[in-house]
Amino acid sequence: MDAFFSALQAILNGLLTGALYALVGMGMALIFGVMRIVNFAHGTFLMLGMYATYFIFEKTGLNPYFGFVFASAFLFCLGYLIYRGLIQHMPVHSDFMQILLTLGLALIFTDAIQLTFGADYHQLNLPLLAKNVHLGQHISLNAPWLVSFGLAVVLGSGMYWFVMHTRIGRAARAIAQNRYASPLMGINVHRVQAVSFGLGVAGAGIAGGLLLPVFYIYPTVGDQFTLKAFVMVVLGGMGSIQGAAVAGLVLGVVESLTSLYWGNEWALAVDFAIFLLVLSLRPAGIFGSQRV
Amino acid sequence: MTRSKSWIAAGSFAVCLLIPLVVRTDYNLQVLFRVFLFAALGLAWNLVGGYAGQLSLGHAAYFGAGAYAMALLPHFGVSLWLAPVLGIILAVAFAALIGGVSFRLRGPYFALATIAFAEVLRLLAKNLPSVTGGDVGIQVPSLFAHAINRSFYLAAVVLTAIAFGVTVWVSRSKFGYYLMAIREDEDTALSVGINTARTKLEALFLSAGITAMGGALYGSLFLFIVPDQVLSLDISNEIAIVAMLGGAGTALGPILGSIVLESASETFKNVFHEAHLLIYGLLLVVVVIFLPEGIVGTVNTWLARRRSALAAAPKQRAQRNSAS
Repeated sequence: MDAFFSALQAILNGLLTGALYALVGMGMALIFGVMRIVNFAHGTFLMLGMYATYFIFEKTGLNPYFGFVFASAFLFCLGYLIYRGLIQHMPVHSDFMQILLTLGLALIFTDAIQLTFGADYHQLNLPLLAKNVHLGQHISLNAPWLVSFGLAVVLGSGMYWFVMHTRIGRAARAIAQNRYASPLMGINVHRVQAVSFGLGVAGAGIAGGLLLPVFYIYPTVGDQFTLKAFVMVVLGGMGSIQGAAVAGLVLGVVESLTSLYWGNEWALAVDFAIFLLVLSLRPAGIFGSQRV
Repeated sequence: MTRSKSWIAAGSFAVCLLIPLVVRTDYNLQVLFRVFLFAALGLAWNLVGGYAGQLSLGHAAYFGAGAYAMALLPHFGVSLWLAPVLGIILAVAFAALIGGVSFRLRGPYFALATIAFAEVLRLLAKNLPSVTGGDVGIQVPSLFAHAINRSFYLAAVVLTAIAFGVTVWVSRSKFGYYLMAIREDEDTALSVGINTARTKLEALFLSAGITAMGGALYGSLFLFIVPDQVLSLDISNEIAIVAMLGGAGTALGPILGSIVLESASETFKNVFHEAHLLIYGLLLVVVVIFLPEGIVGTVNTWLARRRSALAAAPKQRAQRNSAS
């Protein structure tokens, strides 16, 4: 019975982490899946979201569960400006240059944060941190994770709705289908792409803000999320927002179970092993229909 | 190569071999070692990334294979100079595995698969301390007993010369034209009868072998390696950046890229101290915006445009050709 409950506990914890992964993955699905911009700075944007929320908390005392809204608004603007100032002027579909550019941006932001805030670890002291919610005798869930989970589900659904049902979201998907026909249909490609890029960056920023209460922060904290975000997009199927979200939840649970049975240090290796397995057996992703 | 170009290449090689007569401090020799090491690695990457257009971001796998073979094999009684050779064979075996899976994928998928393989290897090296020493790292024997820094510098120069020779040969051979055909349009290459899978794999074998030798030299000079260093994404990225910055798909590009990037990075460390990564990142962004085809690629385009502007009569035709 104990084995059953510890597995159940691990699965639930995995889902709580997975919801935040899903937000990171959805942002990347928009940027890489839909817009085909190879973004190696995604984790860095998440880190910026964390530090922005942290900064707001330190200066005004605003609870991070509200502060993240302002932080992600800031990241939206940053993403919009990066698209308008840099990416817009690059040749379309130049993977090489996009990778160089986003790696360069990642270095700039990471080092700028380190120069401003130092390389030390910081953690927030919220009274909520010590609280646990008990379900029956055997299962207990950490309160801040639960709050983050709830917010992530709401915001993730909102993002899905935005991409699927608003004019801009539809336009973004139209550009993904045919970049050359969409302007003929009256779509302002760069405006739509800039907003989408901003939104994807904001998605990473939101996840950062929601992770802040439960994570240590340090300048390179985001790096681990960049590759995971790519993994989620590919697992979910290129261009599928909901696929990336489900892949995020799956990844959370897989990591949690791996940590339980094999130890924490194998979690990331199992992520990549699954990734490679899916790539070699079903490269269109679990939920994707596109050919690669 | 034309005769004059061969003479220039041979002369440059001779000058590089004579540099230790002037540069004598250990620090400077190590910086130069790094410049030539990454020139060789960039050239190796260029065979796959530049000529064949397959964007590998997992070359740390081969680099690490060479470094770990150099570290581990002498413990089992393998002689000092046989170890890097076995390292090359190990890297080629990895290349067969990685290429076998990844080459069926295209574009960013391929890049991601190569990253994932390198990361799996890094995590295995970290998590299996009984074999690799784990996170703590492992000692590497030195290949040279005397004049260590000078010998390693010369070894790096020779490795660069070999990689350059291979590149020139590839760029002029049928094999190289196959690779370029694959880069331009893989489906068309297939349809005219090129065995694209095999050609890409052969290019990767060459690339992996040279990279492994570089890894062995690197580990052997610094005498100590850890997974987060020799198998890291940073190594993979740096190799690719050197080649892309210099000009992917050109023979001189990776060498120029390494000279610019490694000396800039070293200078930034000394001048800007903690802000050096910020400046390095700015350099990357500036290059992407102003030199979108890399240093050599952009200069070539500029020269071609100038030449076609100078040609008076067939002006329009030349422009149309250079534009297509």
